[in-house]
Amino acid sequence: MEFLNDVLVQPFADMAAAPDFLLQVLWEGLVGGVLYALIALGFVLIYKSSRIFNFAQGIMVVFAALTLVGLYEKGVPALLALPLTLAVMLVLAMTIERVVLRPLVNQPDIILFMATIGITLFLIGFGELIFGGENKVMITEQLFIPTGSIVFEPFGGFVSIEEKDLTAVIGAMVLVAALLVFLNKSKIGRAIRALGDDHQAALSVGISLSTIWVIVWFIAGVIALATGIVWGARAGVSFALEVIAFKALPVLMLGGLESVMGAIIGGLAIGILEKLFEIYWGQPLLGGNTEAWFAYMLALLVLLFRPQGLFGEKIIERV
Amino acid sequence: MKRMLRNAILSSALLAAASVAVPAVAQDEAIYIPNLAYRTGPFAATGTPLMNGQRDYITLLNERDGGLNGVKLEYDECETGYNTEKGVECYEKTKARAVVTQPWSTGITLQVLPKSNVDKIPILAPGYGFSPMADGKVFQWAYNPPSSYWDGASMILKNISDGNLDSLKDKKIAFLHLDHPFGKEPLPLLEVLAEKHGFNLVPIPVGLTEMQNQSAQWLQIRRERPDFVVMWGWGAMNAGAITEAVKTKYPMDQFVGVWWSGHDGDLKLVGDQGKGYRSISWSVPNSEAPLMADIKKYVVDAGKSQINQSEGEFDSVFYQRGLMISVILVEGIKAAQEEFDVRNPSPEQLRWGLENIKLDEARLKELGAEGMLVPFSTSCADHTGHGGGWMLQWDGAKFVKASDLLTPDRTEIEKLEAEKAKEYAEANAPWPVNEECSM
Repeated sequence: MEFLNDVLVQPFADMAAAPDFLLQVLWEGLVGGVLYALIALGFVLIYKSSRIFNFAQGIMVVFAALTLVGLYEKGVPALLALPLTLAVMLVLAMTIERVVLRPLVNQPDIILFMATIGITLFLIGFGELIFGGENKVMITEQLFIPTGSIVFEPFGGFVSIEEKDLTAVIGAMVLVAALLVFLNKSKIGRAIRALGDDHQAALSVGISLSTIWVIVWFIAGVIALATGIVWGARAGVSFALEVIAFKALPVLMLGGLESVMGAIIGGLAIGILEKLFEIYWGQPLLGGNTEAWFAYMLALLVLLFRPQGLFGEKIIERV
Repeated sequence: MKRMLRNAILSSALLAAASVAVPAVAQDEAIYIPNLAYRTGPFAATGTPLMNGQRDYITLLNERDGGLNGVKLEYDECETGYNTEKGVECYEKTKARAVVTQPWSTGITLQVLPKSNVDKIPILAPGYGFSPMADGKVFQWAYNPPSSYWDGASMILKNISDGNLDSLKDKKIAFLHLDHPFGKEPLPLLEVLAEKHGFNLVPIPVGLTEMQNQSAQWLQIRRERPDFVVMWGWGAMNAGAITEAVKTKYPMDQFVGVWWSGHDGDLKLVGDQGKGYRSISWSVPNSEAPLMADIKKYVVDAGKSQINQSEGEFDSVFYQRGLMISVILVEGIKAAQEEFDVRNPSPEQLRWGLENIKLDEARLKELGAEGMLVPFSTSCADHTGHGGGWMLQWDGAKFVKASDLLTPDRTEIEKLEAEKAKEYAEANAPWPVNEECSM
């Protein structure tokens, strides 16, 4: 009886007793969710256009953020370092397409997946060689990202919102909206979607595979840079940022590997639900750190009923 | 034609044998010191300055003194990325020539520990590893000087309670720790002390993927309102926790970390806002010390160091702690050389050396490192030395010494060490115990 009370009644009583705290939990969940969605988007874009699960997305976040901070440390002004980093990500995309992907066209998916593991290992070594392994401070203020906090006092309590988190949420929303418009309305966006649907058919109507791959890997690089700036502003820029890519895996399972909307909604859902579960059920009943597995459990539950994820395509293959 | 062919084969074989023989002699001459380093991966930011320090002290001895008692020291890193499986691979790869194993992670230490009885290579884990390794009778091949994690936890509690742990009665202490063997290491002692002195211990684990987004953990801290937060953090977890503490407006003077949570790089992220944060430490940076002048002259200025001068690594706590770690190892090698009158001691001889380290104040002064390391000595039965530590405090720009020498309260620790060492030996039976050791 006591157990049922702890699981079914007490958490909701706690929520009602401290609504300001609940709001804070929801806000932190939303911020986490937006960040997860951003990482997941990088995976989805590449998978959509080339059917490659890009293992290197995590290290691309580190590489982009390290390039930005590294250029600034070498004396390049912050506002110039930003476009220069984008240029580096474009060169990286072109190199990956030329050196890794092009020779592997028509190879089984698993070969391409292994190739992205190779890219990861290369970028770890290359990044370490050029920038070193130390934790670096993200150039938040130099990029005009506000660093203060806004405090509300609802229900007699307080809710604190970090301005850089708010900027991250707004920035991510703008980026996602721009991406959706680009994918749905532009000619290149349609070509990317066509390639995702059927490589052979897309090639037969004159869509250039190599150009689209460069564009897609570059967009994934832009997303990696945005992710790196936002996460780097929270706890510094170091190779530890690579670990956060693992947070995107349950988002992809939940939302579906080929759905942009799935990545966004999956990310937000996992961000908010895992935070609520950790605070009101995990910490009091399970000793905490449920965020390490909650998202996977949730994704598994969804997979039981919808194996393709919430927004994934139901693929029926003839055998 | 046949003879020509035979001659050609014979001369190539001789040439090959000669080319193999030459480096073999050279290898015998140098004392091979492998280090299971981690300069890559999520913990690279913590590892890099430590490894640089270890490497630079060995370079100094080779450059300034021509090695140790006339024998060169060969420092070699095997990269683990702080990954336990890779660490074990590195151990297997280097053990043939190694005089010592420097595992660099509690997880790797625990994996290598049972192998040490078989391979007979001492494990040196200064300030980390399994705390009961202090018991030299049970852990004959493992050393964790100058202070164990349990010593560290005891010193932190002593310091925050002004020396009277009973004053912590009914107070709430949050224990924010990495959800990893390292982070959980002090829990058995903290639980015993919480029970004994009546304080409320709230363990708060941080998963590997949550290190940089600890909002849930700090929301719990906001809800629980603990009187103190004690942190057992490593790598990116430290920076994540300190930025969240600033965000939560948790009073910095009530926030204390273990020695691996006192890294300049992590605190620089928050600068002035981290003022007042403390970390217990068995080493103190002192860039004015004679040893540091030699490091600068023979290693850094000579272009033989890998440190990042622009980020002030030379003056940092972790770089200078890395130097002290090599000081401890070299003292052990020197003791073995002198005791057995050999130039290149075997791992078994080094084992004797490591349990006969006498790093008192006079010896530290002789090395030019006075005040940089807690004085301690080891013995056959005591593989830690329990030298104690100082509290370091972040002043907004750097860590400064903020206490006199603190020592752990060994009453409960000794009991727990004996109990857990016995448990370990029983669980890994048959486990050889050295009954000849006496205190």
